[in-house]
Amino acid sequence: MGSLASAGGHVDDLIVTAQQAGPIPLNASFRCAPGELLALVGPSGSGKTTLLRTIAGLYQPQQGSVRCAGREWFLAQSGQRHSLPPQARQIGMVFQDYALFPHLTALQNVQLAMGHLPRAQRFEQAAQWLSKVRLQGLEARYPSELSGGQRQRVALARALAREPQALLLDEPFSAVDQVTRRRLQRELALLRQQISIPIILVTHDLEEATALADQICVLHNGVSLQQGTPEALFRKPTSPLVARLLDRHNVFSGEVVETDAGRRLQWGEWWLEVAEGLDRVEPGKPLAWYLPPSDIVLHRRGRPSQGERENPVAATVSEMVVLGGMTSISLRVSHGDMLRFDIATHAAKRNQLSLGERVHVSLLAEGIHLMPSQRTHTASHNKRNLL
Amino acid sequence: MRALLLLCGWLLSAPVMAGAPIVAAASSLQFALKEAAAQFTQQTGHTLRLNFGSSGNFRRQIAQGAPFELFLSADEGFVQALYDEGYVDNAGVIYARGRLAWVQPTGRYSVPSEQAPLAGVQEAIAAWGEGQRLRIAIASPEHAPYGMAARDVLQKADLWEASEPLRVQGENVSQAMQFALSDEARGGLVAYSLAVAPALAERSEAVLMPETWHTPLRQRMVLTPQAGEVAHAFYEWLQQADAKAMFETYGFSTD
Amino acid sequence: MDWSAFSVSLRLAAFTCLFLLPLGIWWGRVLATTQFRGKGLCEALIALPLVLPPTVLGFYLLQQFGRDAPLGGTWAALTGGGLNFTFSGILLASLIANLPFAIQPIQRAFEHVPANLREAAWCSGLSPWQTLWRIELPLVWQGILSAAALTFAHTLGEFGVILLVGGAIDGETRTLSIAIYDRVQAFDEQGAASMSALLLVISLATLGLVYGLAGKRRWSRG
Repeated sequence: MGSLASAGGHVDDLIVTAQQAGPIPLNASFRCAPGELLALVGPSGSGKTTLLRTIAGLYQPQQGSVRCAGREWFLAQSGQRHSLPPQARQIGMVFQDYALFPHLTALQNVQLAMGHLPRAQRFEQAAQWLSKVRLQGLEARYPSELSGGQRQRVALARALAREPQALLLDEPFSAVDQVTRRRLQRELALLRQQISIPIILVTHDLEEATALADQICVLHNGVSLQQGTPEALFRKPTSPLVARLLDRHNVFSGEVVETDAGRRLQWGEWWLEVAEGLDRVEPGKPLAWYLPPSDIVLHRRGRPSQGERENPVAATVSEMVVLGGMTSISLRVSHGDMLRFDIATHAAKRNQLSLGERVHVSLLAEGIHLMPSQRTHTASHNKRNLL
Repeated sequence: MRALLLLCGWLLSAPVMAGAPIVAAASSLQFALKEAAAQFTQQTGHTLRLNFGSSGNFRRQIAQGAPFELFLSADEGFVQALYDEGYVDNAGVIYARGRLAWVQPTGRYSVPSEQAPLAGVQEAIAAWGEGQRLRIAIASPEHAPYGMAARDVLQKADLWEASEPLRVQGENVSQAMQFALSDEARGGLVAYSLAVAPALAERSEAVLMPETWHTPLRQRMVLTPQAGEVAHAFYEWLQQADAKAMFETYGFSTD
Repeated sequence: MDWSAFSVSLRLAAFTCLFLLPLGIWWGRVLATTQFRGKGLCEALIALPLVLPPTVLGFYLLQQFGRDAPLGGTWAALTGGGLNFTFSGILLASLIANLPFAIQPIQRAFEHVPANLREAAWCSGLSPWQTLWRIELPLVWQGILSAAALTFAHTLGEFGVILLVGGAIDGETRTLSIAIYDRVQAFDEQGAASMSALLLVISLATLGLVYGLAGKRRWSRG
């Protein structure tokens, strides 16, 4: 049921599918090209780590396949079943709690992954990897003598020292503080420039995924719901569930209608113009639709309306939450749905926005994204949104 | 792993010492037989390994295949039983007759007279009734012949039930002797041979029980089917004059 | 001092350790890292000698070791020798009685090795054998040493089982503990005292080693 990225993938891609009913339900597929970073996001229990372990060879689902660099690592389908052990797959894995060998120094930890090199070269190469992750001078330290961030770097160096075909990261930054996390994310981004293998990152942190990933795959209860670039997901989620998982608001229900001026999206008392997608939907059927907050434009107070404005909508300010430099605004429309978006706090002040006030906004036709054959059960969710 | 164990076990179960024969002897011979063995070794140059314990226990072990080559029981019954059951091929010979004695620690209590040798038991029973906790020791009547003899004597004097609360049993007559000389005991009915042994003579005072009061302690010894040359030689040696004289010094009769 | 008994005790303790330690490492690891049906029962059986009175164990072994019983009979057929009253017999009895001492400390040590350390080793290219040798064993060596020390000391102190099965045969099955018992009955207090002191010193040394290891700084989970 999952959707893959572009149908035109490369034969060297890392391609993963997995299906099973239990004990951990799975129905997922995704692919990642060499040099790309794919983030697996989803709530706890959505199977992200299980899928990562499947790629690594630490778990074998009942059905599925894993291919990388043209080789088949795992196949379980229609009677056939074979699986390469982790040692044979040549993967680099960074575990959530680093899993460094406590009785070995940082250098020895990295050297351990270099069995494919002749003994004479290992020392020097390992030292090089450690300096690539900015740990030169700390080679002789034991893991207990390193900080969280330093340990994570050793784990990364050890994974990369294997010269793997794929790099797997299991919530690698969740155990360190915010400052260290930012630093490590930055270094990972830099390091990426030097390696060209598929990288899979498991995380529950959307911001991290958005910052680091070329592609995101959204998982829920073991099902891969959608894979795409962050922008694609945040502008065009395929279902209200995906939108909710990505913490997107502004999912509403509406109906496509035929009017004199053409097809429109009926929403409450308004007929909205939609840039794209109306022709694919049958009029008369209710559907769900979504609007990114960036496509809600507040009309300036006092400015006379300038001719045609796209999709003008009147609403009442229901809630204003100041979060530092940005203010989150919730507007209630006449039929009860809530529009939510952010504006700069100084702009809110300038417009003298206050609770209960009646305002007008424009909903950009480009941003309206239709989700046909999806009912929104989040309608009431939106109404009660912040209360 | 189990295969390795079996292999090593096989290696280990090969005769560890094709060495000195093992002799099973009643505890009443604790001191006497040691001296006998020393003399035998001095005279012949052969060494022996001695195991002391209750005769009944050894009878059971021999039936189960214990590697004893010579068995000196403190009675006849156990040897006879082994012969009847076919574990030995002959009925052995009597090598000595033992005596039961009342023994108590030196200098602590009044010593009973020869005419009333159970006075100590009676005193202990009376004292128990008044709350004074002094015990009397005997060997186990189940598998130690001296224990059986002690039971005979006490039953005959009608003191068996009365002495029940204060009786303490030793697994064999040596242990009974130990208990008898301890602070908690008034004394005990044990082998006379232990009381007269040089090692213990000073620590104990002994009064003989008349032989008619119990089944005679005719002590019989027998060679087992595993007996080798040295065991046979010792068996013969124990029946000669030297040995007999030595048994007599330990209070046994050998006529 | 009964040197022959000392020798029997030492040999018994040494062979028990020699055979039980590999078994302890194997089973300790299996119990710590895998789940299987009947695992609870298995662990209970292993722990049984801890609470079972030694004479009960001795009694059952005495019966099973007899030539008429299946175990004793098979042994006699394979090796030509018996089990009761022999060193092999008390060694076998000692192996059974010491199972919990050999397995449990090692099992605890393996349980403290995080599962993802093994997985990290595999992902780094180490085979399961290499992982055992280079990652797991260095982390559990304290448990192994504990098990060895406890097994050794416990074997030296065994009494009931050995006495029932072995029969205190001089040079074969009479251990130091039995010799002490024997000396006391023979009114040889000096002999009993010197042997008791020796066993006391060895036991204290063993405990010192075991507790010293436990207090030593363990590799922190980095």
